[in-house]
This record gives sequence, structure tokens and C-alpha cells, in this order.
Amino acid sequence: MNSQHRVYLQPTPVRIWHWLNAFGIVTLIVTGVQIRFPEYVVIFASYKSAIMLHNTAGLVVAASFSLWFFYYSFIARNMLKTYVPNEDELRHGILRQAKFYLLTYFLGWPNPHHPTPENKFNPMQKSAYLAIMFVLVPLVSLTGLLLTNVEPLRNLIILIGGLKILVGVHFLLACCLCAFLFTHVYLATLGHTAFAYIKPMWTGWEEEPETEQNAHDEPVSNHR
Amino acid sequence: MRSFRLLLCCGLLLGLTAFAAFAAASDDCLACHSDSATVGKAFAINPAIFDTTVHAQLGCPSCHTSVGAGHPDDGLPPSKASCQECHAEVAKEYAASSHHQNAACSDCHNPHQVRGPTEVSGADMNRTCSGCHELAAMATTHTTWLPQADLHIGMLPCISCHTASKENVITLYIIKRPAAARFGRFELAGYNELKALASHGKIEGLIDGNEDNYISLAELRLFNSDQERTGLRLQGMMTPETVTHNFQILANRRDCSFCHASGPAARQTSYLSLATSDGSYRRLPVERGAVLDALYGTPDFYMVGSTRSTALNYIGAVIIAGGLVVPIGHGTLRFLTRRNRANKED
Repeated sequence: MNSQHRVYLQPTPVRIWHWLNAFGIVTLIVTGVQIRFPEYVVIFASYKSAIMLHNTAGLVVAASFSLWFFYYSFIARNMLKTYVPNEDELRHGILRQAKFYLLTYFLGWPNPHHPTPENKFNPMQKSAYLAIMFVLVPLVSLTGLLLTNVEPLRNLIILIGGLKILVGVHFLLACCLCAFLFTHVYLATLGHTAFAYIKPMWTGWEEEPETEQNAHDEPVSNHR
Repeated sequence: MRSFRLLLCCGLLLGLTAFAAFAAASDDCLACHSDSATVGKAFAINPAIFDTTVHAQLGCPSCHTSVGAGHPDDGLPPSKASCQECHAEVAKEYAASSHHQNAACSDCHNPHQVRGPTEVSGADMNRTCSGCHELAAMATTHTTWLPQADLHIGMLPCISCHTASKENVITLYIIKRPAAARFGRFELAGYNELKALASHGKIEGLIDGNEDNYISLAELRLFNSDQERTGLRLQGMMTPETVTHNFQILANRRDCSFCHASGPAARQTSYLSLATSDGSYRRLPVERGAVLDALYGTPDFYMVGSTRSTALNYIGAVIIAGGLVVPIGHGTLRFLTRRNRANKED
């Protein structure tokens, strides 16, 4: 019988932030499709309700981004360590992780990365989340805020290059987020069971099968 | 055949004589009425504006029939024609709307400055309404149900929604920031401002580089990408081609999809509207579909849902498809190699 190694990986504020984000981003995508293609896609009763819902979900995601930023900057104080890959991760870690996803995973080898509360993301995750949380989400939120206040912020929009550039950037960034969502959800099922990585985002605790490396470790927690 | 030609010549001669007589009469009238010091501000007419109106072609005596040779010494007040004598259909339509109890024709239209709907700017149309309905107050009133009401009121003539006016097109106007205000608000550029900027004194040349009275997408892009140098931008408004006078609150205009779900096919037609020396506007047709250009066709005009760019749609689709490569590609290999992982777990 396999024994389990438990790690408290996702503290409560992070889980609240994650699900607020998830709910908000899915709402934004669905309403966004109706807003851009109203003559083809009618999910919500009226165009106005799609717009209002999109604007509200945008504010929720922007607020949840602020929560995330505040938590990692001022409470956990480990934002850089969590999200910025170090030299070793850039030189070797990314390759090692890519090799796992593209080859050794199919051979049945274990994941080379073992998450701990201090280092919960593998090097590829770190790089992806760095781009998403520090570039994609802030930019899509800011362009969205400008688009919902065109007349009062007209001069700022002109400074950026105009409404069309703003709309184009917002749309393409949203497509990138949508593309990320598909990959993110799929990769979340790559644990030793399909829900092994999804469960900790609900309960906080990740259960890993015992390996030689962690067989003698004690359960780890930074929030007990 | 010969007698028909003779008749035609006589008719033409009579018409020309009548026109010349009315024109001469108008000139006589304007000799005094163009000077406010002589006739007073209330009776002064600006000949530069009046001469270019349709009413000027009719001549003053057509409407002011009672004015005789003794005017003004005879002391008789000049008669005025009622608008409905010529505009019976419009008058009938207007009488059926609730608005007619609040304003007579002359409250909105100065008969000595009349212009066709395509000869005025969208801002001019709204200026007429703002005489009674102050625009800032209207923006506030509309916020109760209309998202970004200030934006809508700035980009739409009121009559687009409050009459059953038809065939909306996108009309582009040149706007300019006041020279002294680095971050000031862009305003509609007047004829003299544009003339000063035009290299050969023809303001069309600011955009219409080959002077063919047609604005191609290439010319639009060139103008827009050069705006840092010229300080000019284009403001788009959705304006009606056919104007009606049945003022009302239309329920379907409160449904955003009336405009926003009309689809790119409905937003193919656009015009560039340029100020002229007499204060009116002259339109030049713009290449079909220019408003839908991704970035530089009309950088400041975008109607959510209706003016989306097809090129950006394709790029977005490629990005999303890229995101599906991992689940589909990796997932397929994962399924095919599932036994490897099952064996390791055993």
C-alpha cells in the first residue's frame, strides 16, 4: 500500500484568490465572446447584460489581483522566491521540467519537482506565472479599465495610440489568457491522480506518493 | 418638333429671368440686411452663409411676399412664409411627434442658415438640441440605463436614437487640440485652422493625397500614422443619412444590440466630412470597410461588436488554438502511454 506525503501548499488567501480569479476569468471569456460576436453568440439575454457582467467580472479579477499582490508582498513576503526563477532553474530546471513533460512523463517516471510551501512551483510554472501575473493580467485589467472609461480617459487613450490599439491589445491578451486557461486546466490533471493537483487548491493540502527522496520527511506546513 | 424647341427655349428663358429677378431682389435686400448696424442684430443676415443655402436660390421675395418697393418706409411688417407651405410632409410628420408642442421649426432651424443633414457636422446637429437639452445634463440622465453615456452622447447625434432616422453611416471629422493646451481636449477643427495646415491651401489634401475626392484606406493610414506631426486626429460619429422629424423615445434604441449587434457588414460605409469656408461640411466617400481596419484606419473610432477586425480575429484564433495544442497533443500521447504509468505504480 502506497503511503502519502502531505504538504500544506495553498494557504486560505491564495485559494480564495484563485477561485475568485477562476470564476471571474471564465465569466470574462464567456461574456467577452458575446460582446465581440453578438450576432453569432447570444449566451446572456441581452447585450447590455453581457457588457455589465463583463465589466463587473473585470473589476472582480482586478480586485482579486490586488489581493494576490497584497498577500504575497506584505503577508507571505515571498513573491520573488515564489514567482521568479533563480539561476539554476533557468539554466537546468526549465530543461529538466520540459524533459519530464515531453518525454519521461510518458515513460512513467516521477515528476522531478517536489513542491514545498517555500518552492511550490516547478521552474516552468514559475516562468509561466511570472509572465501571466506580472504582464498579462495587469495589462488586460488596465486596458479593460481604460475601455470602460473611454470619455474621461480619452487623453490617456490617445497617448497610448488610440482606441483601436487598446481594443486590439485587450482582445489579444484575453486570447492569451484563454489559451493559458486550457493549458492550465490540462496540466492540473497531470498529478499522480487526475485530481491530485486540483484538490490542494480547494483544501490547501497536497498529497504526494512517498518516494525515496521524501520518505523520511515529516509532513510540511507553514500554516498550521 | 421645332415648336417644342421654341417652347423649351421660352421656358428656360423665363426660368432664368425669374431666377435673375429673385437674385437681384435678394441682392437688394442684403444690401441693408447684411449690416446689423443698419437693420439691427435680429434682422441681420450673414450673406456668406445665406448665399450657399437652398433658400437663397429661391430668393427673399419667395418667402417675404409682402415686401414691396416702399419697404421699409411704408412701415408694413414683412410677411413670412410658413415652413409647411413647402415642407408639408415634414410638418405633418413633426406635428405627430410629441416634440411639436415644445418647439416650432424656427426654434431649431434658422431659415437663413439651413443645411442638409450631410452638410452639417454631428456636433452641429447636437448643438441644435443642446439649445434646450443641455448635453452634460443629458449625459447624466442617460447614465441611468446607458453604459458610458458621455461617450455615446459625444459620438452620436441625438436624432440617431430619438427619431426613426435611417441608414446610419460612420462620418469622420478632423479634430485638433488647441495649440496652447498640450494635454487639452481635441475639438472639431475649423476651416481656417485646416487651411493654414494644408500645403496647397486645399484642406482635402491633408488626407486625400492624390486629390481624387476619394479617401482610400492607405490614405487614411498615412494620415493617422502622421498625427504626431500634424496634431490632427479623426473623430468618428455614427450619423443618419435619412433624417426624419418624428421625435420620440424608441424602445429598440434602448436595446444595445440595435447598433452593436448589427455586424461588420453594416459598418462598411463611411465618409470624411470636411469644413468649408461657408461653415457647412463637404463629404468625401471613404473606401468601404475602412472603419473595420485593425489599427490605423480609424484609431479612435470603435463600436464594440460591430467594427471588430477580421485580421485580429484570426490572430486571436491562432493564439487560442495554440493553447489547445497542449491538452490535445499531450493528452493524446498521455492516453497512448497510460500503461507505462500504470506499470510503474504497480
